[in-house]
Amino acid sequence: MRAPALTLGVLGLTFLLALPLAIALRGMIEEHLGASLEADRAAAEWHAGWAAEFGAQAQGLGRTFTHEILGFGGTLANVSGLLERRELNPTLAGAIVAYVAAWIFLSGGLLDRLARGRPIRTAAFFSACGVYFVRFLRLAVVIGAVYWALFRWLHPFLLTTTYDRLTRDLTEERKGLLIRGGLYLAFVAALAVVNLIADFAKVRAVVEDRRSMLGALGASVRFVRRRPLRVLALYVLNVLAVLVILRLWLQVAPGAATPSWWALFAAQLYLLFRVWARLSFMASEIVFFQGELAHADYAAAPEPLWPDSPGVEAIQNLTRQN
Amino acid sequence: MPSLRFLLVLAMLPLVAIPGSARQDPPARSPRNASYRLEATLEPAARTLSGSGRLTWRNVARRPASELRFHLYWNAWRDAKSSWMRELQLIGDTRFRARRPEDWASIDMTRLAVAGGADLLPRLKFVAPDDNNPDDRTVFSVALDRPVAPGETLEIDLAWTSHVPRTFARTGALGNYFFVAQWFPKIGVLDDLGWNCHQFHATTEFFADFGAYDVSLTVPTGWLLGATGREQARTDRGNGTTTHRYVEADVHDFAWTTSPAFVERRDKFESPGLPAVDIRLLLQSEHAEQAQRHLDATRAALKYYGLWFGPYPYAQITVVDPVTIFNARAQGESTGGMEYPTLFTAGTRWYAPWLGSQPESVTVHEAGHQFWYGLVATNEFEHAWMDEGLNTYSTARAMAETWPGRFVTVERYFGGMIPWSYADVRWSRDVDGSRLNTFRPVAGYDAQSTPSWQYWPASASQISYSKTALWLGTLEKLIGWPTTQQILTTYFQRGSFRHPTPDEFFAIANEIRGQDLTWFFDAVHRSAAHFDYAVSQVTSSAGDSTVVVRRLADGIFPTTIRVRFDDGSTMDESWDGRAPWRSFHYTRPARIASVQVDPEHVLLLDLNYTNNSWTARPRAETASKRWALRWLTWFEDLLLTYAFFA
Repeated sequence: MRAPALTLGVLGLTFLLALPLAIALRGMIEEHLGASLEADRAAAEWHAGWAAEFGAQAQGLGRTFTHEILGFGGTLANVSGLLERRELNPTLAGAIVAYVAAWIFLSGGLLDRLARGRPIRTAAFFSACGVYFVRFLRLAVVIGAVYWALFRWLHPFLLTTTYDRLTRDLTEERKGLLIRGGLYLAFVAALAVVNLIADFAKVRAVVEDRRSMLGALGASVRFVRRRPLRVLALYVLNVLAVLVILRLWLQVAPGAATPSWWALFAAQLYLLFRVWARLSFMASEIVFFQGELAHADYAAAPEPLWPDSPGVEAIQNLTRQN
Repeated sequence: MPSLRFLLVLAMLPLVAIPGSARQDPPARSPRNASYRLEATLEPAARTLSGSGRLTWRNVARRPASELRFHLYWNAWRDAKSSWMRELQLIGDTRFRARRPEDWASIDMTRLAVAGGADLLPRLKFVAPDDNNPDDRTVFSVALDRPVAPGETLEIDLAWTSHVPRTFARTGALGNYFFVAQWFPKIGVLDDLGWNCHQFHATTEFFADFGAYDVSLTVPTGWLLGATGREQARTDRGNGTTTHRYVEADVHDFAWTTSPAFVERRDKFESPGLPAVDIRLLLQSEHAEQAQRHLDATRAALKYYGLWFGPYPYAQITVVDPVTIFNARAQGESTGGMEYPTLFTAGTRWYAPWLGSQPESVTVHEAGHQFWYGLVATNEFEHAWMDEGLNTYSTARAMAETWPGRFVTVERYFGGMIPWSYADVRWSRDVDGSRLNTFRPVAGYDAQSTPSWQYWPASASQISYSKTALWLGTLEKLIGWPTTQQILTTYFQRGSFRHPTPDEFFAIANEIRGQDLTWFFDAVHRSAAHFDYAVSQVTSSAGDSTVVVRRLADGIFPTTIRVRFDDGSTMDESWDGRAPWRSFHYTRPARIASVQVDPEHVLLLDLNYTNNSWTARPRAETASKRWALRWLTWFEDLLLTYAFFA
């Protein structure tokens, strides 16, 4: 809450990244409707007949335009699609890769800002982004490989092999759902552990100014291992915050007949809270770490000053050595 | 049609030949020329079923029968070499190949003899009349010592053993739930052209003659059993098993189910002008709260089909709620959504939202099959559209009538755990009921008049179910519901307890309509053509306007073009729809405000209705902005979901 610019900035980035594709989709819809009278109904409500016709002729991005974009169902579909390993539309997958890369770039600045606990200038923010980008990129390669392995092997092991074995002779769906729910929990727990270790690796990289990302990972593992319950409690509290936001979204998610601009406003407000929750997640981890192994607002690295890029810093170091 | 009359008269004569309890039945409503008295014992642990009995068969054809042909349907799942399996492999469906040996099925004859006469078993020979597949064992033939003359009756003693499979194609076992259909050696249909006894195919169902069934089934004591017909006796055999005797006449198949876990509900259907029917519902215990929904849907079908087409003539109907298949990869296929005489399987989920159309749609559909299949017993191998299509159309109509505006689209997430009702995506008869969206991608794959077992397997159901529902909906809009209903009522009355052919249906349509509708059936049934009419071009200025409409696909259908002018006047033009395009010229002071091809949306088979209209004040920009903004926020949500990994 004390860094609204960060929240708005990340939301803005999300919006801007999604906007070109939305504009492209708009063109497809407009072209398909053309001068048709069906547009009258489509402009007023969800016109299932037309939407199906559109979907039948659509290629690429257009195929993502289904009723599953509507309201809270869209959110459910997104999370479910991820956990079910539903294949992504290639255009969307490309945009998601770019978005994740943007997050990796911004993470250094975000964590640095949150670690210092006070506003830093824009130049300093982006300077920190630059300082940590390559480090976090190296970290992302390692963590990404672990995530990939989880989806590639653990997911099918749990949700296909084990699930099949446990449900083969079941005649009660209830029990099957409980089993599936349990296996989801196991998979999500594995994701959460990796996520937690990656988070604290980044926190330690920033707060302790670590250069080695393998070292930061090792330090993160040790940190989590030595205080598992408190770390878990922190993680669960943050997850609960996200669940509360989702619950509120479920309550207010606009229906198809809601006026466009009001629907856009409500959705952006929800997304703003999602971004805020994500940043709060990061902030809480930093504060927790600082409370355990440092002190409040501590960051080992000096506040980055523009244009102190890593290159300039290297030159300065060389100069000092000479 | 003297041959049909001859057959009917012939059929009604020798009913005294039907043995046992069938003699106590009311006067025969059907030819009853293939009657069975069977006894079978189920051993659940071993999943074996052994049976024996006697078939009383009368030759109702006008030719002697020098051989008999029987179906052994379960051999379709004996191995991966059957035609049933090969047809699935043809479309890349190899999911069954990984099944364990004990999950496959088999049925083997152990006795086949003319009652008191020749042993026919050594002569048993598997035949594959459809595809000459030497590995298919779903049809066998036996030569007779002496041909059975027309009208003559033959009694055959049968015995067999079989292995109940893990559920395949709505048949089999899962845990202690058994659904046992197509389970006995069933004689084919002999008509004037010879034996109509097709192999079991992956995408088609069944065909059999009417008869009287007297079946005794032995299952573990305490297990509930439901079957075609009505239970006449129950005998505890003292060894942990109980024998249930079920009897029904004027039916053409017999299916049954048993499980210790069923919950039983009984109710009665009563509606003015229709005979009362006892409803017996066998539910999975986890669906007990949905009993009323099943009963209401069954009542809705009995009521509307009864009022529209003709009354349900049997005294009872059994509704089976099957085990829910939530993981088909492991559990096997669903036994839900299948019809048998006086018994059908519905299908629901543990949590079925009230706004969702499940279990109502499947229940109405399968109850509806009691009319289009059970009574009007068309050949499902060759003309699947006649039962599935007519029934899909009727289901959609009954649903719209019974629950107007109630249902919405429901999607299930997280492996089916969480259903979500999309309140803005309302169920519509034309789109959802007639299944336009499933038909659109395969519209030109097969002419519907092709024998159904020869359809491309991946699109067979769309051609049978969806296309028929769409063209019947089109016919209804074209000639009106009263005439359409009269056609269907007449067809139902003349076709009940018989095997009517497509030509009979078309002849009745022509007769009732009082004009030749051949052009219509040529377009929608005898051709694989698809339909797409469009407004191609509109130029309009004061005093000079031109409209060009086009036929963009090969399907031809007469239509109306409605031109609206900005002074409020309207012109309706008729177009036979044959030429690739047609232009209309107007010299009037008003400009054209809008143009619509098929303004009443009569042609439900038009695959792209969006291009059927043009307006001078298009709102595509407003609509596209609206939905692009919705999509934008959805995509932002997706991006934030994946930000988890950053």
